[in-house]
Amino acid sequence: MSFSPPLYGYDPRGVVVAEARKISPRLPNLHGLRLGVLDNAKMKAGRLLTYTAEILKAEFGFSEINTYVKRGFSFTAEPEMITRMAAANDLVITAIGD
Amino acid sequence: MQASQKATINNPEEDMSAFNGLDPQEWYFAQGYTDGLPVVTPTPEKVDAMIAALGGDSHFLEARVPPRWGNLTRRVLAINAVMAGCLPIYAPVLRTAMRAMCEPHFNLNAIQATTHVIAPLAIVNGPMRHEIGMNSGHGAFGPGNRANATIGRAIRLMLLNVGGALPGVLDKSTQGTPAKYSYCVAENEEDSPWAPYHVEKGYRIEDSTVFVIGAESNHNINSPLPNDPEGILDDVISSMTTVVHNNARASGHCTVALSPEHAQNIAREGWTRHDVRCYLQMYATNKFGEIVHNHKYGKAYNRHLPKYYRRDLDSDIPIVPSPDNIHLFVIGGTAGRFSSFIPGWGHYNSPVLRAVDGVAPNGGPICIDGTCYL
Repeated sequence: MSFSPPLYGYDPRGVVVAEARKISPRLPNLHGLRLGVLDNAKMKAGRLLTYTAEILKAEFGFSEINTYVKRGFSFTAEPEMITRMAAANDLVITAIGD
Repeated sequence: MQASQKATINNPEEDMSAFNGLDPQEWYFAQGYTDGLPVVTPTPEKVDAMIAALGGDSHFLEARVPPRWGNLTRRVLAINAVMAGCLPIYAPVLRTAMRAMCEPHFNLNAIQATTHVIAPLAIVNGPMRHEIGMNSGHGAFGPGNRANATIGRAIRLMLLNVGGALPGVLDKSTQGTPAKYSYCVAENEEDSPWAPYHVEKGYRIEDSTVFVIGAESNHNINSPLPNDPEGILDDVISSMTTVVHNNARASGHCTVALSPEHAQNIAREGWTRHDVRCYLQMYATNKFGEIVHNHKYGKAYNRHLPKYYRRDLDSDIPIVPSPDNIHLFVIGGTAGRFSSFIPGWGHYNSPVLRAVDGVAPNGGPICIDGTCYL
């Protein structure tokens, strides 16, 4: 192989192609809405989120509270679960809790 | 959420910056493109040779690497491979490893970002080991062999540069590990008394494969005295049954690398690979009470273990749920009674085995070393 002194630095990072998305609009108020709770399956996430949902319910009187549990904290929620959450809830809270 | 039009966020492949008088090494450090060590400076000749070894077509997309999700084109793969010090003949193994790690069930996205110490380990089987000069014998895990060292390093450079797993930024590993510099090895098929790992999994002996798994650094097993299967494997079990690695707390897959001496002692008694894996799975257990500190810090359920495990304090909790979750290799030199247990990352990672040239497994069982049951 012939050799020539390097003249340029190569960028080793690769292109990122992403689909830009907007954040959902803020809800005007939370009263009477359907609350989804996404438990990420960390050790104490369920406890933390249950307690948080109770506090929020006392203030906002949610019409429903629906709980979902991921199969593991290191996995993303399955698309099917996200679809179900989006259809059945007006807002979703999540948290980790170790 | 509303989707807008697709947007390209930066286009670094076209960004070949002039050094402007800088020492090329210092330029690469200044850009943040290294693993902390100096890199081999890419030249057009070296990059082109690597692309040619990958089959040409420099813009061909081999994979997308999380969590940054950078496009791993052949050109980008080649640049990182050259920077790591790879020879073009290593390219097929390197590509296979990257493709395997980027399969969704490997869960590289989480491996790259976790606070845990996990690093992808690549183990090569088949004739390709010799064709590219890999070391599977003394000191196989390092240092000293160019193929082992630079393939492992190239993988890490791609995880850093393309995947964006910069320590403290997207890689949140609390302590990190030397295994994150380079972690690639080959099985010592020649000094193993059993069929190679990939043959056990249905490939032909003339096939070459790369196995990848999320792994801690190898934990040494010093077992000098026993010369029978139970004695040696009980020492392996001793290493497996600490309660503070992720298999103990979260099940999943693990790797056991027996030294040739240990493997030959075990095989002399007629034990197959399958026997070894079954023995380890059956007797490598902890009491549930040990895992949860006997509820000293409050009653604990442990959500990371399988739901079907009993959780009485005296319940036996296996390190992994099935013999198939123990990936058994023979690695190392012919002298020395030192083997390794290599914990995995719990059930969050599924190992992947892929053939270097993309061939499928044999399709039928090869009745060797207890694999007919497959």
